[in-house]
Amino acid sequence: MIEGRGITKTFHTRGGMLASKTVTALRGVDFAIPRGGAVSFIGESGCGKTTLGRILAGLEPLEGGSLIIDNVDVSALKPKAREPYFRKIQLIHQDPYSALNPTRTIESTLRDPLRLRAAQTGRPESWVNEQTEHLLSLVGLNPGYVLPRYPHQLSGGMRQRVVIARALTVEPEVLVADEAVSMIDVSLRLGILALLRSLRETLGVSVLFITHDVATARYIGSDGELYVLYRGSVVERGAAETVLAGPVHPYTQCLLSAIPVLHGLEKPGPDRLVPNEPLDERKEPPGCLFEPRCPFATAACAQRPPQLGRLGDTIQDHACLYPATRHVVAVPAGHGH
Amino acid sequence: MTERVARVSVRKQFWRGVWRALRRRPSRLIGLFIVLLFIFMAIAGSWFYPERLPYDAENIYAPISWEHPLSTDFEGVDVLALVITGTQGVLLVAGAAGLLTMLIGTAVGLYSGYNRGIGDSILMRIADFVLTIPGFPLLIVLTTTISLGSWWKMSLVLGLIGWGSLARAVRSQTLSLRERGFIEAARGLGLPTRHIVTKELLPNVAPFIATNLLMAVTGYIYAQVGLYFLGVLPIDTSNWGVMLNAAVFQSGALISPDALPYLLAPLGAILLLTLGVVLIVDALEEIFNPRLRES
Amino acid sequence: MTITMVKAPAVSISGLTVAYKTDAGELPAVSQVDLELAAGTITGLVGESGSGKSTLALSLLGAVQKPGRVTAGSVVVDGIGDMAKLAGEELRTVRGAKIGYVFQAAQNSLNPLKTVGKQLLDLGKAHKVRDLKGLLRHAKDLLDRMGLNADRVLDAYQHELSGGMRQRVGIMFALVLNAHVLVLDEPTTALDMITQANILQIVRDVHKEQGLTTLVVTHDVGVVAEVAHKIAVMYGGRIVEHGPVTQVLAEPRHPYTRGLIHAIPRLTGDISAAKALPGTPPTLGTIPKQGCVFRERCALRMEVCETVEPPAQRMLDGRTVACHAVKEGAA
Repeated sequence: MIEGRGITKTFHTRGGMLASKTVTALRGVDFAIPRGGAVSFIGESGCGKTTLGRILAGLEPLEGGSLIIDNVDVSALKPKAREPYFRKIQLIHQDPYSALNPTRTIESTLRDPLRLRAAQTGRPESWVNEQTEHLLSLVGLNPGYVLPRYPHQLSGGMRQRVVIARALTVEPEVLVADEAVSMIDVSLRLGILALLRSLRETLGVSVLFITHDVATARYIGSDGELYVLYRGSVVERGAAETVLAGPVHPYTQCLLSAIPVLHGLEKPGPDRLVPNEPLDERKEPPGCLFEPRCPFATAACAQRPPQLGRLGDTIQDHACLYPATRHVVAVPAGHGH
Repeated sequence: MTERVARVSVRKQFWRGVWRALRRRPSRLIGLFIVLLFIFMAIAGSWFYPERLPYDAENIYAPISWEHPLSTDFEGVDVLALVITGTQGVLLVAGAAGLLTMLIGTAVGLYSGYNRGIGDSILMRIADFVLTIPGFPLLIVLTTTISLGSWWKMSLVLGLIGWGSLARAVRSQTLSLRERGFIEAARGLGLPTRHIVTKELLPNVAPFIATNLLMAVTGYIYAQVGLYFLGVLPIDTSNWGVMLNAAVFQSGALISPDALPYLLAPLGAILLLTLGVVLIVDALEEIFNPRLRES
Repeated sequence: MTITMVKAPAVSISGLTVAYKTDAGELPAVSQVDLELAAGTITGLVGESGSGKSTLALSLLGAVQKPGRVTAGSVVVDGIGDMAKLAGEELRTVRGAKIGYVFQAAQNSLNPLKTVGKQLLDLGKAHKVRDLKGLLRHAKDLLDRMGLNADRVLDAYQHELSGGMRQRVGIMFALVLNAHVLVLDEPTTALDMITQANILQIVRDVHKEQGLTTLVVTHDVGVVAEVAHKIAVMYGGRIVEHGPVTQVLAEPRHPYTRGLIHAIPRLTGDISAAKALPGTPPTLGTIPKQGCVFRERCALRMEVCETVEPPAQRMLDGRTVACHAVKEGAA
């Protein structure tokens, strides 16, 4: 079980001599990833979802809030002592091309972390060999073919499988998949998604799926929770199928409305919604962050930021003063026209 | 057991790739041939010729013949023999200085680029300082205070003032590699820093090191020959610079056509060696990049 | 008004083969392609990496780069002629003035050191536009229509524009010289969902307002479904299926089209209905030399597929399908 409470993160970009810009990436995010479960974070670029994944993987220092991994508050530990905890969370990079060292064969890429693992856990050298082959088979690759090869000799899909196998060498509890299929050919994507899904069952590993592609999030974690992030805060949270079928926050509704409809196969949802204006990150409204773009905003929305909760007796948590279920997602077109 | 076999085969694969990269263009093979020829001359020169080359005062500035293909000098010593025996000193100093440059430049560049922080700032200020030293004038000044006659002192000085640009190049490469997914993944897997630097970073910066190094080596050849040519170093060894100095200042090769071969021979040797190095540099990127190596 | 209503031209590609010189010889990235872009329509060209879709788009512009070249066939644009035969000054004038090209959203196709307005004037001068004021007016008009603050955008540098704004500026550049054929290469890759929806709406509007013949090149079937009238599916350098979007999506005929559409997870319905397509798409070097290029991944593989390349058959419903297993009336 991995839990985050009030995670915040601010980036300071140094401009010129005086121009120091701060960008708030996360504004107090709470989340929980149950063992073997699936949690999806969806949102647009700049919403903080990537930063959250990097914080979890220990690649970005913790700033505010606390991170609890297996009942230990990691944020209270010294940086050095955090490492073994962060190792339980492995990040699958978006780009399988830069995620593998071009000068090393797949064999050496997998063996080094395995050997380290063997030394740490007192396993024999033979385990390294067995595990190398075992992991590759697990991710659906033929060890004999893949092991002696360099990354550039493999397709994007195969590379991403190797990246997943490498993450599994340290026996993690959580895989953080950040846009893990967006750079992979369309016909190969589903194979990777299915693999992540099956790893949940076979290894009991949980998956934190970070994406802007809502349908892939549904494929991975239809039984899990879906978090909708907007400018660093969670605006809607609930069971994935519930949120997708009946989103209540206008931002979620705009986001889901923007997903292309496969005309001929599907019909657009009846309540499709478009935001009033494009995102302007320089605006820091005092109330709801979505208020300037929201078609339903009132004066009250500009007063102070709404809290995540179940105002209006919704099934899911949301941060909107006027929650209303709207059907925006495309529905299958019945045959006969 | 299987692992050793695998390693050996990886190494074999590497050398096969090197050979393939060199063979891809005839110019690279020519470059390789030239460099190997000079290395052979450096090693084997002392086997063929006695320490004191035979001279023949009756036969100075001899016309080009089979006996003296590159003429003779002011004492009647065979110029070809002088070029060959002069190779050793030139290559030894350039090679040793290059090795030193590579060690310092790579270590500083990798450390700075990977760790950043205060250590990086300090090291880069030092590197900048080293870069701003006008190398050749400094050498001339140094020769007046300490004797740079022995090969190792010469190499030490050249190596110590030449590592700045390599360190900068390695650092900037490391900085960009550091953000790449595979380095982040290695950190996330808990692999030790030593492993990340030597196994993940180093092979990726190797082509830059090799290219910079070869260019530095040619620079050291020029510097050393230049010092001898100016006559600020004791003229007690055979060296291409010594030959140039004697040709210009003693034999008046610039005005006397008889001594021209004596001047052109060491110049030709320097140009040929530089050409060989440049032709090989062209292949380095392909040698170290497995993708380019095999295709 | 500077906009003169010109009838959108039709584009007709026939027997087009574009080959790249490699160590293994000259390999075709696009092979024997016939494709008709009817005047005034939007066609979506869908394919994965290595399918040859970008090469096909470039040949429409006569811009296939060395080591590639058009080895056979023609790309005839109404009122211009065969793009594959144009060269030099003639070709340069046609590009931009007659055919507008919008580069990938992910690419930075703008000069980072010059303002958009300055680049617009450069473009005008390069094409010997005499009325630069008129050009500026036309550009502002286009930008306004795309919902941008024209004056601000013309004064801006590339880094001051968001991804969606850059893409709209790209469309403006493609159309400002009154081109009536518009080619968009991956117009929404790397853009966010909401921005993507916005850009697609703009493509639809601009297409209608300016009277264009448009080709959208993308890997995303959803993008095509949103904007295009017709879809052309490319695989291994061939167009395997071509027809009206809604028909093809509702009832894909070619096994690759079917596999591709079924491999897309959806937001409603049974998740396990999505099925992965086995195998991997071929690269330039691994495209089979004879027979059907898709047979390695095909469930309907037959003996004839090994040796005979399936010809593009015209179906009764107006679709074109290149598959031995698809017979007229079977659908």
